[in-house]
Amino acid sequence: MAPENSARLVWFWTFWHWSQESFRDGVLLRSPLQGVGSHWDEWFRHEASAADRAAIAKVGATEAGQRQFIAWFFRHWAPDAAGAGSRPIARYVACQLAALEPFNQWKPFARYRGTYGVTGIAAVVLAEKSAGESADVRPVEAVVLPAERAISSARVVAEGFEPDGAELNGVERACASLLAGRTFGSFLALWIAGGRRPGAAWWRAGVAATWLTVGGVILFLLFGPDPGGSLVPLCAGLLAAWGLLTLRAVGVVGREAWRAWKMGRVLLAQLARSQVRLHMNGGLHLQGGSAGLPFCLNTLVALFRALPAGHHRSWLWQRSLGDLQQSAGSWAATGVLTSEGWVQPVVLDPKLRASLRHAGIVHFLAPRQREARQREVNRLAGELAGRPAERSPFVAGMRVGFAATSRTMHVHQAGHLAQAMMQIGGLMDRRQLALNLFALVVSAVMVAALPDLRRILLPPPAPIVVSPSSASPYYLWVSLDTDQPRSFRVRFESEFWASRLADVRRYEDGDLVPRAEMHIQRLPAHLSRDEDDGTIWIERRRSFLTREFLPGERVGRYPLSYVSRLRHD
Amino acid sequence: MKTETTVEKMLRWRLEQAGTEAPPAPRASRLLALARPWWELWPERARQLCDRLGRIEMAYGHAMERGGGSRTGYPVPALLLRGDAEIEASARLLYFTARDGELRLRFVLELPPEAAQPPEATWEVTFVEEGATPRFLAVAALSVEREYRIEASLPPALAAGWAGLKVTDRMPFRFILGPAPAKE
Repeated sequence: MAPENSARLVWFWTFWHWSQESFRDGVLLRSPLQGVGSHWDEWFRHEASAADRAAIAKVGATEAGQRQFIAWFFRHWAPDAAGAGSRPIARYVACQLAALEPFNQWKPFARYRGTYGVTGIAAVVLAEKSAGESADVRPVEAVVLPAERAISSARVVAEGFEPDGAELNGVERACASLLAGRTFGSFLALWIAGGRRPGAAWWRAGVAATWLTVGGVILFLLFGPDPGGSLVPLCAGLLAAWGLLTLRAVGVVGREAWRAWKMGRVLLAQLARSQVRLHMNGGLHLQGGSAGLPFCLNTLVALFRALPAGHHRSWLWQRSLGDLQQSAGSWAATGVLTSEGWVQPVVLDPKLRASLRHAGIVHFLAPRQREARQREVNRLAGELAGRPAERSPFVAGMRVGFAATSRTMHVHQAGHLAQAMMQIGGLMDRRQLALNLFALVVSAVMVAALPDLRRILLPPPAPIVVSPSSASPYYLWVSLDTDQPRSFRVRFESEFWASRLADVRRYEDGDLVPRAEMHIQRLPAHLSRDEDDGTIWIERRRSFLTREFLPGERVGRYPLSYVSRLRHD
Repeated sequence: MKTETTVEKMLRWRLEQAGTEAPPAPRASRLLALARPWWELWPERARQLCDRLGRIEMAYGHAMERGGGSRTGYPVPALLLRGDAEIEASARLLYFTARDGELRLRFVLELPPEAAQPPEATWEVTFVEEGATPRFLAVAALSVEREYRIEASLPPALAAGWAGLKVTDRMPFRFILGPAPAKE
C-alpha cells in the first residue's frame, strides 16, 4: 500500500495508541486487544477529533476505500500490533469492530459480523421446545488471544452466549488433562494399543506382512517338517526379522509419544498464557452442559492453530487436531464433559434429528449410549428422508432438489475425551489392533524361545566328560563339564549293551556337575563278549520350545572303558 | 354566516380553545418536588436500600500472580431493583474517567445465575457513597455486548476527589440500579 494511503488510515493508529495509553494509565481495565470493541466505541464517541472523524468518513465513503482499509488492517496493522500468528487475532478484532459504528455500515465488514471466520465443530444446542431443527446445530468458533485476567481468571471464556455454571472451567481442566495429564496418558495408551501408525499405506502393509511371515516361520518351526541344515539360517532370519520389527515398533511408538508429550506441553503453556474465546451466536443462556465436548475440541483446535508452523512436529496431534482444522465444518458433537475427560450421556434423539436435518454435518460425535448406534441413526435418517419437506437446505435461500436418497451421517461414540480424539483423528484402526495383538503373541513366543534360538545360533563350546561316574555297573553316568546341559545329549552305542540316548541335566544329589544317566542292560544276543565295549557320543541338542529337531553335530567321543573308570564320587 | 377569516384569527381561536382544555400548570412547589432525587422523596425507602447495599460483603483476597499479571480491579457492590425483587450483584468497572467534572464510565453486571436474563436497555444508577449516602443519579445505557455506559456531570463536591481514581482502584461508591424513567 502506498504511503499516502497508509497516512489516510492513521486514525486507526491514533485509536490504538489511545487504547494502549489508557490501559497503561489505569483508565481501561482490559487490554487493548481484549476490550477492542468497547474501546473503539468509547474512542469514536468521545475521543476522536474532528479531523479523525472526517478521515474516517472519507475512507468509508466508498466501498473501494473500505476495502483498502480492510486490506491495510490485515496486512499492516495486524502484524505490527499482534506480531507473528496475527491472523486469528485480526479476525477477532474485525469481528468486534464489525458490529460498531461506522463499520456496521461498511459492506466489506459484513463477512466478519458475528463470526471470527474460523471453522469449528458445531454444538447441538436445542432451542426451547425444539424437537431438533437444523438451526439447533450451532457453529462454535474459538480464537486464542494473549492472556488477560482482567475480568476473570478463566482461560476459556464465552462470547455471544452464557455458559451453564462453571462449564467452561471444566472444559479448561479437561483440555489441560488431555495436553499433559491423565487423559493424555489414556490417549497415548489407546493409540499404542490400536491406533493407526504413521507412514504410507504400502509401508504399513509391508510391516504387517513381515509380522505375519514371522508368525508363519514360528508355526513352521513348531509343527513343520524338520528343516535339517536350514535350521540355522531360518532361526537367524526369524530372530533378525522379529528384532527389527520390535525395534521399529518401539521406535515409532517412543518417537511419537515423546513428540506428542513435548507438543502437549507446548500447547498447555499456550493455554496458560492465553485466553480462548469461544464464540456462539444467538445470545443463548445454556441450560445443561451438553456442549462441553464441542467447546473442549474447539478450544484444542484453536490452541493448535495458534502455534507457529514450526511447532507442528507431532504426527499424533497433527493427525487429530491439525486435520480437524480443515474438516471441522462437517462435524457436530454433543456430550457432557467432566474435568477428568469423561463424556457423559445426554438427551440424544432431538440432537440427532437436528444434525440429520443439517446438510453440512457428515460426522457426529456422541457419548456412548444406545441411541448413538449407527443402525439407530440410519433408521432415524430413513424416517426423516420420508419427509423431505423437513430437510433444510444448507445455504439459506438456495433452492435444493431432494432427489437423493437419505444421506449418511457417520456417528462416532466416545466415552472419554481420549476416545473422542481417536475418533476425530481417524486413528482407530481395527487392523492395527489385530496386528498389535498378533505381534504381542508372536513376541511372547519369541521371548520364550530366545534360549533355544541362542543354543542354535550361538552353540556353547564342546564339553569334556568329567567325574563322577556311576558306582553301579548297571548305570552309566556321563558327567559333562558345561554350564548349559540343555544344549547336549548323550548317545551310547555298544555291541554288548543295549544302545541308549539320554538328555543331560542337573540332578538334585548335591553334585553340581550335570550328567546324563542311563540304565544299561546287556543285549540278549550280544555280539561282543567285552563288557567294556561301547562308545559314548556327545551330541548337540537342537530344540525350539516343545519341538525337538534331529540331533546336531557330534562334539565328543569317549570309550565306555574311560568313562566307567572315572572317579565315582 | 361570515365564512372568511384570516389565518392569524384561526390560530388565536385555536390557542384559546387549547387553553381552556389544558390541565392547570403545576405549582412551583410541585415542580421543585419533581426535580428532587428519589432518596429525598422517599427517605425511608432510601435508607432501607442503602442499608442493604452496605451489607453486601465484598471480601478481596490479594492472591498476586507472578509477572504483575493481576489487573482485575475491584467489583462494585450493586443492588438491582427489578420489579418487586431486590437482587444483590456486583458491577465490574471496565472504563473510568472523571476529567473536568465529567464522568465517563463503563461496567458489566455480574449477576447470580438465578437472576440472569436478557440485559435491560437502560438502568437508572444511583451512586451511593461508602457512608450509605446517595450522592447522584445517572442513566446507564446498554452498549457493546453486555456493557453499560454512563456519561454524566459530576457534582462539584465529588469531581475533585474522583479525578485521580483509576479503574483498578477500589471505588468509593456502590450502585443502586433501578428502572430508568421513560423518556418524555
